[in-house]
Amino acid sequence: MAWIIIIALAGAAIARPAAELLGKASGWVMSLVPLVLFVLILRHAGDVADGGAVIATMSWVPSLGVDLTLRLDGFSMLFGLLITGIGTLVTIYAGAYFAEKPVADMGRFLALILLFMTAMLGTVLSDDLIVMFVFWELTSLTSFMLIGFDGHKPEARKAAIQSLLVTGGGGLVLFAGILLIGMTLGTFSFTEVLARSDELVASPWAGVIAVLIMIGAFTKSAQVPFHFWLPNAMAAPTPASAYLHSATMVKLGIFLLARFDGVFATMPAFGTTLVIVGSLTMTVAALKALRAEGYKAVLAHSTVASLGILVMLIGLDGEVAAVATVGFILAHALYKAALFFCAGTAIHATGETSLRKLGGLARFLPVTAVAAVLASLSMAGLPPFVGFISKEYLFEAQLTNGWNVVPIVVAVLVNAVMCGVAGVVSIKPFYFKSHRVDAVKHGETPVLLIGPLLLATGGIVIGLFPGGIGDLLIGPAASALYGSPIDVSFQLWHGLTPMLVLSVLVVSIGVAIVIWWDAIHDRLRRHDRLFRLIGDGGYHWVVDGTLNVARLSTRILQNGDQRRYTAVVVAVVVAGLAIALFAGPAGLYIAAPDGSLRVSVTLVLLLSAAGAVATVLGRSLIAALVSVGIVGFAVAVIFMLNGAPDLALTQIAVETLLVILLTAVLLRLPARQRHSRTVGERRRDAALAGAFGLVIFLAVASMSAIPLDMSLTEYFGQTSYLEGFGRNVVNVILVDYRAIDTLGEIAVVAFATIAAWALLRGSGPSKRAKE
Amino acid sequence: MNLVYAFAIAAQMGCGVYLLLSRHGMRILIGIVLLSTATNLLIFVAGGLRFTAPPVIEPGLQVLAAETANALPQALILTAIVIGFALVSFAAALMLKTYRSVGSVLTSDHVDAEALGSPFDREAPRNA
Repeated sequence: MAWIIIIALAGAAIARPAAELLGKASGWVMSLVPLVLFVLILRHAGDVADGGAVIATMSWVPSLGVDLTLRLDGFSMLFGLLITGIGTLVTIYAGAYFAEKPVADMGRFLALILLFMTAMLGTVLSDDLIVMFVFWELTSLTSFMLIGFDGHKPEARKAAIQSLLVTGGGGLVLFAGILLIGMTLGTFSFTEVLARSDELVASPWAGVIAVLIMIGAFTKSAQVPFHFWLPNAMAAPTPASAYLHSATMVKLGIFLLARFDGVFATMPAFGTTLVIVGSLTMTVAALKALRAEGYKAVLAHSTVASLGILVMLIGLDGEVAAVATVGFILAHALYKAALFFCAGTAIHATGETSLRKLGGLARFLPVTAVAAVLASLSMAGLPPFVGFISKEYLFEAQLTNGWNVVPIVVAVLVNAVMCGVAGVVSIKPFYFKSHRVDAVKHGETPVLLIGPLLLATGGIVIGLFPGGIGDLLIGPAASALYGSPIDVSFQLWHGLTPMLVLSVLVVSIGVAIVIWWDAIHDRLRRHDRLFRLIGDGGYHWVVDGTLNVARLSTRILQNGDQRRYTAVVVAVVVAGLAIALFAGPAGLYIAAPDGSLRVSVTLVLLLSAAGAVATVLGRSLIAALVSVGIVGFAVAVIFMLNGAPDLALTQIAVETLLVILLTAVLLRLPARQRHSRTVGERRRDAALAGAFGLVIFLAVASMSAIPLDMSLTEYFGQTSYLEGFGRNVVNVILVDYRAIDTLGEIAVVAFATIAAWALLRGSGPSKRAKE
Repeated sequence: MNLVYAFAIAAQMGCGVYLLLSRHGMRILIGIVLLSTATNLLIFVAGGLRFTAPPVIEPGLQVLAAETANALPQALILTAIVIGFALVSFAAALMLKTYRSVGSVLTSDHVDAEALGSPFDREAPRNA
């Protein structure tokens, strides 16, 4: 079974070079890849017919316990067949769709489509949740690249980034959920998670896990409040829209929810949330579908509504709901992909994307028109199409679940809108006389027709002979979904049932919507505020807000002023020290004065403090240099008075050198003329420096209360003569115990010398023309 | 005594920070000198100042007498003083070189790598 992934990946890898070689025929040739995979998956049909699963394992990252386990059951087979089947048609269609474009474009597109197909197959087939997540994110990435395929258009780039942020961000949320599952159960294998679902639901993390997984699924499947990205994703080339954004990728969220429905079966809030979110999404999407103008936009909104229906169906319990879910996934994939193909052909032919400006296209695209009508009849839920059967099951699932009447009313109205949309998208552009198109740029070619015709007739064939597909696909898939084998009787005619009454109601309202489409459309367009509320305003608010914060922080932190940078660093140090002082375990503690005042030391210390203050106050730099010399020599005296003659010697030597060196530098600089800081800046700096000094004072004052560990000093004192053969302990430490450190210190001095010499070498006072 | 030490160290460090915040290269250099001197003193005080006899083993003895100053911080500071000197020397050379090539010791005039103000302010007209 691993061959499925390997073949798909190989196909993606060779697509680009192959397109260069094959030119216009590459669509046909590359479609062999998904076709072969379709057959390979279909060969397993017998293995999963009784609700079982085929499992193949390869060790992948054994140290992390991540295995490349593939698992094929009825439900993943349904997805696998949809992915490869529609993938075949999309590849063929793309060959014709890109016929007039450069060959490089076609190669890029086919490579992305096949890579996407690999990712999809990996997602639905992997049993290990980590592996599934990797493939899941890969679908988001390929979707990003396909939406932004026309990278020169700003709206395509915007839509691509939006979809990546929403679905990629949702993927990270899902990842958090997966990690929590791994933490709770100690396994990432979905089969095991399903088997131990009682344990998972009983754990305290169950609620959090359920929410995280739901958010991940909702972002992928464009549920409220993440519904806005899917219509914008229509910036992608139409074959990609047909494939990713209606038939397959957006159903991954559904796939995930359906999988975890079995795990969270005993958690009633899970199903309730799904029903509520699904109903909300349906309502919002139906309203937006009625208001949308673009051909693809109308289809996209109706796709969001369909996804809402699916989410609601997963939230419902029982065998019928499982059958309805599976049936609707199949029916929707067939008719929606077909409609997208027809929309692509119409847009390709006219270059016009607005539904209002299309009309009378049937003269130029007769077969496409027929395919569109067939597909839309299935979408409208009319007999004898498969869409009718799936809608009957939908209503039956709702009625048998004993939910209150609101979701049923919502479902009826939304289905009516879908019925209306179906009529509008198929009849209006092809048969209506208004806004008649008089000429087309490209006619329909047989290659452009294969996809829509096959899918649309598939809808009617399955509708007429539902038995075969019921046993082959729907039964195993629904059984896998339900968790135990279901006896499915997937039939066209259910008899005179309440469901049939609802269907009639739906169709009647739908017809009314078709008739008064323009009027409804115009009325809805007036309610701008409502639609802004249910649009992507929230997304823009978050994104713009993040950018503004980044801009603001850059303006504050990265403003090119050295003084500002230093101030930020000092402020952070002050804050850190203050927090450490006050929030430490013992709180702020200042040692009491120890009373042992030594007059000589005190006087020298006060002198050093006075010298420091004089350095700041002195107006001339020479005076400041003298003052800093005073501080250095005072410190040397402190060293001397406290038993550190070596330090005193070094300090005096270095201080002398420094004063000489700085004076030499000063001689080459212009005399100081003006303040480099304004009065306000100096005040602020003084406050900051004062705060720094205060924190240091508190820290040093509280330091003497902490007991000192003298063991190292004692060790040096004991051994320096016996082992180091030196009487001056300080010297022995430097040249013996810490000899390598001393070597490093000498190296630093050497490097500084070399660097200073390199800086100053040969360059006389050659200033730029500033003076 | 501890509070007097704390006061002196805090005064030196505060003044050092104030100078470090200046835009004049020379004042920044002096700030660095003050800060490193004060830091050395801080390490010295942190080692405890109980005894004033230098840590030298008397002739005739094999080990250090008990009441001598702490040798460990002295060794550390000895290294630190020299490193601080190297740092200031290099910084001084850098400043001198900058002054020679830019013609100003004020960091507000050093705008070749990064101009003053927010980078967005300058990008805005270019994009518009």
